[in-house]
Formats: sequence, C-alpha cells, structure tokens
Amino acid sequence: MKPGKTEKEIYSDKRANDILEVILSYARLEFDKKTELTGTEDVFDAISAGVNMLGEELENSTISLKEKEQLLQEVHHRVKNNLQIISSLLNLQSESVQDAKFLGLIRESKNRITSMALIHEMLYATKDLSHINFKEYVEKLYRSIYHTFETSDYKIDFEFIMEKEQHFEMDTMIPLGLIFNEIITNSFKYAFPGHQGEIKVQVDKKGEDLSIRIWDNGVGIPADFDHQSSKSLGIQLIHLLAEQIEAGLSVDCTHGTSYELHFCRSKVLA
Amino acid sequence: MNVPADALEITCYHTWKGEDGIVRTKVKPGSEVGVIEARENSAAVNGLSVNGEKFPLLIDARGIKSISREARNQFSVRGRETNTTSFAIIIDSPLSRVIGNFFMGINKPAVPTRLFENEEEAITWLLSLKVNKK
Repeated sequence: MKPGKTEKEIYSDKRANDILEVILSYARLEFDKKTELTGTEDVFDAISAGVNMLGEELENSTISLKEKEQLLQEVHHRVKNNLQIISSLLNLQSESVQDAKFLGLIRESKNRITSMALIHEMLYATKDLSHINFKEYVEKLYRSIYHTFETSDYKIDFEFIMEKEQHFEMDTMIPLGLIFNEIITNSFKYAFPGHQGEIKVQVDKKGEDLSIRIWDNGVGIPADFDHQSSKSLGIQLIHLLAEQIEAGLSVDCTHGTSYELHFCRSKVLA
Repeated sequence: MNVPADALEITCYHTWKGEDGIVRTKVKPGSEVGVIEARENSAAVNGLSVNGEKFPLLIDARGIKSISREARNQFSVRGRETNTTSFAIIIDSPLSRVIGNFFMGINKPAVPTRLFENEEEAITWLLSLKVNKK
C-alpha cells in the first residue's frame, strides 16, 4: 500500500484490479472467474456486472465457434471418406478389366479424386480449417501419383523450391491441386521413356505477384503440339482451371516441359 | 413501487396484477437471478392471465445484483409462449442501467421493451401501447 492513499483510492484500486484480473482471464478464454459485486451498486458494481455478462456472452460465442469448427472438420472428414469410396468403387470396377487404355483412364480419374481428397484430409487434420500448406500438399500429391504408377523401375527425383511458406484457401487449392495432378501425371506418362528424370516445383514471390513453375527435364512436348486446341482432357483441365483461378499460364518446351502459373497475389491468395 | 399484500412472493420477485391491467414484478434487493428464478418468475407472470388474456409487464429492476445469461434469455421471451405484450423496465443505479441495457442490446426481447427511470412514465408508455392495440 502506498502511503498517503485515501480509503476511497484504496477501494478504487482494489476494485479496478479485480476487474482487470477477470478481463485478463477472459482474454485467455478462461471463463470460470467472475468479478465480485459488493452490493454497493456503485459504478464498480456496474462495470463488474457488465464485465461478467460480457464474459458469459464471449464464453457462449467461443463454444459456438468451437462447435462449428468441429462440425466443419467432420464435414471435411466425410467428404474425404466419400471421395475415397468413389475411388475404391473405381478400383473394383477396374479389377475385372484387362484393357490398358481403360485402366489408364480409371487411374487418371482416381488421381483426380485423390488430388481433391487430399485437400479435405489436410483440412480436417490441421487446426486451420481454411488454409492449405502448399508445399506439404504438393509433396503428398506427388507421392500419391508416384504410387499409382508401376514405379519400381522409376528413378524420378522431386524437388520443391520455395523461400517462404505459402498457403492457399480451399477455393484456390482444389483447382490448383487438379492442375498439378495433370501436370505431374503427364510427366510420369510421357516425359521419361527411360523412367529416369527430375520434376521440380518452384514458387517465387515478386512484390504482389506470385509465380509457380513446375517442370520436368524429360523429352518435352512435340513442337507441333497445340495446347489450345488439344483434345486431351488433362490439357483442357489445366487451361480451364488456370482460368478459373485467374492465373496466367505459360508453357515452355525448350528443355523438357515447363508450366508457369502467374498469380496476382491479392486476387487469389490468402 | 409498493408491493401489495396479496402479491405473489417468489424467490427473487414480488409479482402482482394492478387494477390498470398491467402486471408488475419487483425484484427483491440484492437478488442474483439465475435461470431457475427467471422461470419461476415467468410462470408467476403467465399465471396471472385469465382466459389467455395478454398484458403489459412493468419490471422494477432497481436493487438487482446480477442476472445470468440463461435468465436473460428466459426473460427475452424468444421462442416461448408468453402472455406479455410489452416490457417497461425501471432502473436507477449504474448497475441496473448496465443490466437493463445489456438485456435490451444483447438479449433482444421479442416484445416492445423500454428502460425508464421513472415509474409514472413507464406506466404511461405501457398504457399507450395498450390503447394503440385496441
């Protein structure tokens, strides 16, 4: 106690400190504390009552928010499970088939489904229900595609080059994931006749712009191949989905095959 | 607000119907109103209705110490049957003013509600609503 304080000052200090303690515990989302009301009906009692009621409302909102997050997690879990079921059905469908072309189409469909299922899996497995860690996703996607090819004799190196962590919202990540799925799948299918090579992904941020480049050092695409008029579903998807996420797309076949997506960061990135 | 001898006495309130058709409920000094006490009060108030008649409610909140969130929700008459048509809440101290404003702003009662510092003005307002309804 400081010397010279009046009783009123001591009382005011104590009430103010008591209220402050409770506000701090609410800030930590600890709601078991309440400020004590003395029954004097003075301004401190009024402030205390207000703080207590705000605490109750905050606690209620926090609980509602947690429940909604749990619900959203559950939704992602179920979506992922349903996508897995579709994938399994495709597997069953293909068991009795020998036709290599048909089996290839089934595999491509399964990979597309997996590229989306992975996003839902990552969303329910992490605390952040709206953002996907791009590097983590692409690495998982790559591994998943790798396993769908008969890769025992493949020797393909994969490298991800990125200076800073990059996250995308789900609305961007699903089309982007499908684009990556098509590009990586094409590399596996066509780029490496000798089953050896390298696939790289590089993310660069320059000011407000962001570019993502994915390339392989394979045999490249024939010079007369016209991307815009291609009837390949994979190629069409790459272009359509890039347009959907408002990303500029350029393709370079000088050394291997390189796709580069350009984003205006403020438009699509979290 | 004087409590008549025939008023209902429940845990935190005295409740009665006036000759003007307004039901009154006066909180007991120092009351800490929880949901049980709020439900008890709602039952007492609704019990004053004869043949399903509806009435305005004058609430004397002067002297209240605290009221829980669940109790405030109960009094907001949202999503439940009530015989009340409007609330006039009498407040005086900073404490009752905070509670009254909180109830109005956060709990948003489902019937017309106003805060008053003067009993006569509160009654006049309730009666004016009654007249307008006729």
